[in-house]
Amino acid sequence: MPGTGLQVRIVTEAFDPQTEAAAFCAGRDDAGALVTFCGYCRSANKGEAVAELRLDQYEGFTEKEITRITQDVAARFSCPDLLVIHRVGVIRPGEAIVLVAALGTHRANAFEAVKVLMDYLKTDAPLWKKETGPSGARWIEPRAEDYARRQQVDKPEAGAA
Amino acid sequence: MVRLVFLGKFGEMAPADLAEVSLPGEVRTLSDLQAWVAEKAPLLARAMAATRTRLVLNQEVVHDLSRAVASGDEVAFLPPMSGG
Repeated sequence: MPGTGLQVRIVTEAFDPQTEAAAFCAGRDDAGALVTFCGYCRSANKGEAVAELRLDQYEGFTEKEITRITQDVAARFSCPDLLVIHRVGVIRPGEAIVLVAALGTHRANAFEAVKVLMDYLKTDAPLWKKETGPSGARWIEPRAEDYARRQQVDKPEAGAA
Repeated sequence: MVRLVFLGKFGEMAPADLAEVSLPGEVRTLSDLQAWVAEKAPLLARAMAATRTRLVLNQEVVHDLSRAVASGDEVAFLPPMSGG
């Protein structure tokens, strides 16, 4: 069945989130809810213009880890139909960086799955981000609030990790 | 030979000759390897000490740095990750 199940893709070219989301839920008239989140490259960060963003991956390991995280979230929220598309390489302002989508019978689990998956990706996806602007380039690391969100969504038994 | 992979900002600081290394006999564990790398590349060592560094052995996250490292292995050094 097309558009069904757990899908994780690391892509090096620009993608269209609307097309991907439509393909993901095509033919799924059993689903009552589609929740999507798309993260885009902004033209400015903290008041400074952004010319481009570069995301580095660790070939093989990055996809494997994101798949593992996605499987955990799918099991936790009983939401097996999850899609993650993550761009790597050079990304320009206005282009999509990440698309997370969940298809569910009802909305509650689908909303939760997308939110929690994004919180994990922010701090646990093996990706490294470098931003280039007029004053040069700098590596971007998760903010304190990203770690805090990650901590909040973490299962209590995994909290010590 | 052991393959070393330096990700993110570590990649910019790692000397090219550290990509593929032949380790001296006394370097037996991941912890030994980290110290050996630090000796070869002081700039990288400072960056690793200043941040949370994770080690990945043959594409698996390792928490126990007393794990042995041997010829044919691939060891990656990961600075803090940032997806999404």
